[in-house]
Amino acid sequence: MVIESTIEQIDQTLAQVLEASFREKKEGFGSERRVNQTLDAILDLKSAIERKTDKVNAINCQLEALTWLDSLDEPSLTKINEIISLSRDLRTSLLRFAAGFDLLNEKGVAKAEIAMFKEAIDDLKEDVQDLESRFFFLPQLPDFEETTRQLSLI
Amino acid sequence: MKYYCLEEFKAEFERLIKKKSYRSLERDMIEAFFDKSIGELRAGTRLNNSSEAPFIKKRVGGSGGFRFYYYLLIDRERLYFLFVHPKTGPLGSENITDESKAYIYKGVLEAIKVNELYSVEKSSDGKSLQFRSFQS
Repeated sequence: MVIESTIEQIDQTLAQVLEASFREKKEGFGSERRVNQTLDAILDLKSAIERKTDKVNAINCQLEALTWLDSLDEPSLTKINEIISLSRDLRTSLLRFAAGFDLLNEKGVAKAEIAMFKEAIDDLKEDVQDLESRFFFLPQLPDFEETTRQLSLI
Repeated sequence: MKYYCLEEFKAEFERLIKKKSYRSLERDMIEAFFDKSIGELRAGTRLNNSSEAPFIKKRVGGSGGFRFYYYLLIDRERLYFLFVHPKTGPLGSENITDESKAYIYKGVLEAIKVNELYSVEKSSDGKSLQFRSFQS
């Protein structure tokens, strides 16, 4: 004959284990879902940064290609000047966007994607400078056009 | 394609290659310029007003890599390396001034006139570059 206190002890333990088991399953599931949601958000963020990087790199290529155009008239040069100004505005916005990632970057989240994005922004700065040099500054420097002319005679 | 360089280019190349940070320079240069089609060599930012003899700035080794300035004589299949600088590291710089671009461009004219050039060739194993004082 089992004494009552023993049965009570078993019942208490059973109740505790039951409760713990139930909670663990329920919360464990919940935390797994939270982890998955966080991982999905990180993947979405990485994709968004990559898409932006691709867009900036495409613009960089187009800016580079513009330097191969010849014999531009005044309206075309005006448009080039507008492209230069707008590209600088774009860079300012992109830098602001990139600054928002500093904390994530410190934590090692999307580190490679953020680095590539920042490199694309750096390239944009360089391409804009070079485009401006090509059409507005270098042609005005003494001797630059003359050097081209003399080289063509050699 | 025949490759030449200015004295300034050779000096800068030799200065950079001594630094650990720029050990890839020689390999990057070989991969970017040697055994390439005219189309590939024409890729980059053109700084002068001549598509037949462009003065080009080219990114090599990615964004943080090197910037090469060169003069390409397309019909005579000659490429003149004028200047190189790294974008990052202890000797890195973001860009060079317009005055510097004009200066190195004028430099190639002077060097061709007085024949003060170096020929640049790949070694027989294709892994390094050899500079030889060139007299045409």
